[in-house]
Amino acid sequence: MIMKKIESVDELMKFKETALEKIKERQTSGKTTIVVGMGTCGITAGAREVMMAIIDEIEKRSISDVIVTQAGCAGMCQHEPMLEVIKPGMPQVIYGHLDEDKARRIVLEHVINGRVIGEWALVQRD
Amino acid sequence: MHYYRAHVLVCMGSGCVLSGARAVKEALSEGIKEHKLEEEVQIIETGCMGLCDLGPRLVIYPEGVVYCRVKAEDAAEIVSEHLLKGRIVDRLIYRDPETQKPVPLMKDFPFLSKQFKIALRNAGFINPEDIEEYIASEGYSALAKVLSTMSPEEVIDEVKKSGLRGRGGAGFPTGLKWEFTAKARGTQKYVVCNGDEGDPGAFMDRSVLEGDPHSVIEAMAIAGYAVGAAQGYIYVRAEYPLAVERLRHAISQAREYGLLGEDILGTGFNFDINIRVGAGALYAVKKLPCWLLLKAAAASHGHARLSRPMKGCGANRH
Repeated sequence: MIMKKIESVDELMKFKETALEKIKERQTSGKTTIVVGMGTCGITAGAREVMMAIIDEIEKRSISDVIVTQAGCAGMCQHEPMLEVIKPGMPQVIYGHLDEDKARRIVLEHVINGRVIGEWALVQRD
Repeated sequence: MHYYRAHVLVCMGSGCVLSGARAVKEALSEGIKEHKLEEEVQIIETGCMGLCDLGPRLVIYPEGVVYCRVKAEDAAEIVSEHLLKGRIVDRLIYRDPETQKPVPLMKDFPFLSKQFKIALRNAGFINPEDIEEYIASEGYSALAKVLSTMSPEEVIDEVKKSGLRGRGGAGFPTGLKWEFTAKARGTQKYVVCNGDEGDPGAFMDRSVLEGDPHSVIEAMAIAGYAVGAAQGYIYVRAEYPLAVERLRHAISQAREYGLLGEDILGTGFNFDINIRVGAGALYAVKKLPCWLLLKAAAASHGHARLSRPMKGCGANRH
């Protein structure tokens, strides 16, 4: 953020909108959560790269209201890397056999457009 | 703006600093570097989170998991387990003293869950050294509203209606105090903030000044507008070095952003604040008369002399 003198009330309000980005990760309600499986199995299969791709995509598209978090082994190591998308008002979906490109597609299709990518989904829960 | 998936808030209130928070923070940043998580995880220093006996304390968002009595040696495990793999480090979680049940989230702490924080709403949640985090938490919005839409009389009426009172023994209505000062005949008026917390074991002023200094600055500016003062003084005791440091930082940031100084937000209102650091132990009483505070503020460090009240000068002390 460029430091600049705030010269009017409108400017302050605009500045506030931008500044909100700084603390929004600390506010959790009403957000989409992406849980990346980060057990040893997940890490070996490339979960770190998948997560970094997601973070990069979120940043590039300036999406707010998304939380990226990790979980341990879900007991289905053969399907790693896996992640779960929990978007309010949508079924919870676990995707498997991911890579960086698939992860970026999930951000675009599921998180932004609200469409489940059926062919990669392992589990859907309402 | 760079997206960090996790924010590690390390309490840097005086209590936690004394119990070793700085070493914990250093160890955490080393661990984060070691695992190459610098681009994903951000460490933020905050003011007091409450519960100083459980310090050093930290909270990791987005989960909001609280770790208590953390030592520098624990940092490596927090990084490799929680930040890398998303697994909570169970042994550092607070346990309910009666049931021994783990309480991982701040909102579930029995001591805090019944509290509704007003003055300390931001302490422990934002970085007190970053004006932008304060602005993001509605900071300076009240000042903007007051300056752009209300007359000084309307501000005083609003404060009267709110029922806000002084937190000293007398509980004097703040709106009345402002009204008296606004109507006082003197031409030169001041807003004086009393941060000379003298009561043994009382640290509420310190918590506010350390944890959310901009809220004090904003409130003083609003008071200045309401009573017709262009200058404020904050009198802080020298025993609160962290409060003094954060206040100084906050004041210079506010000046830089044009929220203190001349023509604030283009409204024509001028207001600035200076700090006076006092040797608090000199006065062993809480309720200093305002003229003595002013006298002390005018004097150099710790050399205030007793004298008669200054006449013809309206001062608003909080």
